[in-house]
Amino acid sequence: MSVPNTKNRTIGDAPRARPQTPSAKLPQFILDWAGLAPFFLFALAFLFIPSFSIFVRSFQANDGSFTLNNIVALFTQRDIINAYKTSLQISAITAVGGALFGFLLAQAVILGGLPRNLRTFLLTFSGVASNFAGVPLAFAFVATMGNAGLVTGWIEAIFDLDLRQMGFSIYRMTGLSIVYMYFQFPLMVLIMAPALDGLRREWREACENLGGSTLHYWRYVALPILLPSLLGTTILLFGNAFGAYATAYAFSGSFINLVTILIGAQIQGDVLYNPGLGNALALGMIVIMSITMLGYTIMQRRAARWVR
Amino acid sequence: MSQQERRSGKISRRDFLKMGAMAGGAGVLAACAQPGAAPGGELPDLTSGNSIPLDDLIAAAKTEGQLTTIALPHDWANYGEIISTYKSKYGLTINELNPDAGSADELEAIRANKDSKGPQAPDVIDIGVAHTETAMKDGLVAKYKVATWDSIPDDAKNSDGYWWSEYYGVLVFEVVKPDIANSPQDWEDLLKPEYKGKVAMAGDVLKSNQSVQTVLAAGLSRTGGDINGAAEAGLQFWKEMNDAGNFIPVIADQGKIAQRETLIVMEWDYLALANRDGLAGNPELDIVVPKTGVLAGPYAGGISAYAPHPYAARLWWEFVMSDEGQNLYLKGYAHPIRFNDMAKRGVIPADMLAKLPPAEAYEQAFFPTIQQLTETKTIITENWRKVVYGEG
Repeated sequence: MSVPNTKNRTIGDAPRARPQTPSAKLPQFILDWAGLAPFFLFALAFLFIPSFSIFVRSFQANDGSFTLNNIVALFTQRDIINAYKTSLQISAITAVGGALFGFLLAQAVILGGLPRNLRTFLLTFSGVASNFAGVPLAFAFVATMGNAGLVTGWIEAIFDLDLRQMGFSIYRMTGLSIVYMYFQFPLMVLIMAPALDGLRREWREACENLGGSTLHYWRYVALPILLPSLLGTTILLFGNAFGAYATAYAFSGSFINLVTILIGAQIQGDVLYNPGLGNALALGMIVIMSITMLGYTIMQRRAARWVR
Repeated sequence: MSQQERRSGKISRRDFLKMGAMAGGAGVLAACAQPGAAPGGELPDLTSGNSIPLDDLIAAAKTEGQLTTIALPHDWANYGEIISTYKSKYGLTINELNPDAGSADELEAIRANKDSKGPQAPDVIDIGVAHTETAMKDGLVAKYKVATWDSIPDDAKNSDGYWWSEYYGVLVFEVVKPDIANSPQDWEDLLKPEYKGKVAMAGDVLKSNQSVQTVLAAGLSRTGGDINGAAEAGLQFWKEMNDAGNFIPVIADQGKIAQRETLIVMEWDYLALANRDGLAGNPELDIVVPKTGVLAGPYAGGISAYAPHPYAARLWWEFVMSDEGQNLYLKGYAHPIRFNDMAKRGVIPADMLAKLPPAEAYEQAFFPTIQQLTETKTIITENWRKVVYGEG
């Protein structure tokens, strides 16, 4: 494998990390890719084939014939345009909110000098909480803060109020955003903790030795290091909220008009049933996520420019 | 070893010819078994759609040994007991596919299994009447007229026998008694300020037929029972309901009712009455049939045109549509479609009648036609968000 290569020597004098010979090139190439095969197989089965199927079926009418109506509907039907707006809005709010507060909490726990036990507890808890979504979360929230919720009951009893008569309701955008935060927030803590662990004490000391303040340290040292993971996690949270369905549906049915809920109404149920439109809606989501990912990649490049 | 092999080779070669002859014979037999009434021991004809004498049907179903059903929740219209009675009565097994499937899913299950006789292919379906149109157009259902065909009201069946209604319900108010002192008696009552934050539907208007009908029923009440304009009036009613803050967008189910999150729920009577029994007084429920806008929702039964067990399927409907089967629906609080006929002949047990809301409440029940259902559904679903939530 590592036969010294004399031919390429002339190109440059930098040390060659990966010595290559024409004879060793091919087997190594195959070996490299063979190791990746399971990943590609996985991606093919669970990402590319389903995406392709969504793409194809977006152009199908109920009877299987070709149609552009579904795609046209994405840009013309008010309900659909509104749904995309609401979905984007709630995803952006909960992603940024979750990232901000999650980051602050993770920072407090990792760098705040809290006892080690608390840190273990918090990380374990975050692991559980970030997966506590869907119907159980919605139900828990309804049982706590709903019209007949435990906390609602306490407030009404203590302050002698009738919240219903006062028009209080959790079944709003704000309510759903708060519900989403319950899984966004712990996920951020979970992912940011290792990144914060990576900040070396020496860097801070070095900064201080050079006369830098805490602000300087964060502005010029910590944040640039953390920025790529911060951005990545925020995008993850965005996708997490954008694709959420069960939580929202169990929480308030179709009251809050989200894309995922519209898709649900099109592909199942007794009433609307137009799977083609459902697929077109999903295609729209894929396009939006792709654009977001593209934006992320560009930002990531800029954020990590100093590393290269 | 080698000797054995040679011998077995010889035998199989000799048998091969025999087997061929047998297979050919069986093929001929199978070919004549399908069409036309064959002599004794043969299976009855399936193509005419006429009722098959019960004894022949039972014998034929027993050779199949199994029935595949879909979308029959055990707590819906007493399907649990109907299924277990059918099983024990005829000694057949029932393979129950997704009990929570919707009408569209049922048709999809037939469509997807056209070429398969496997366990995923349903034999019988129970769908919303509006879906019968698609089912017939796509050739998914086979025609068959049960023995009690004539006593099914004419507007509740297809004249060729492709579908027929088995039961219906009307939309009622399901009121949590201890929390609501005065139960609403009519649709307009629901708009009163005392019900603020208390009125919920049992489904999602864009997803559940029951909720579309809830909108329509409120409209019927406003138009004085005239279907023309009822959909628009219904949307207007729910807009007022939402503006008043009375409507809460929680999808009510037994759990949410028990939890007292949803204090007034609009639901089919059979579901509401089953909830009353299920909750057994905790909390106590009041079931009110509204004074006006009594909307009937019939369901339709049918047989898959690709049924793997066509005789067991027909036996199922003979049983379900018999007095015995129809009374089982009533036990689950669904009004059997042959209710009037059976009441006239006095075959409904008195204790069953006593558990139902008064019979007069049902007298003015409105049965929409399929066309009316389709038209009103389109108006309601297309304008729901716009009118009720005021979204541009």
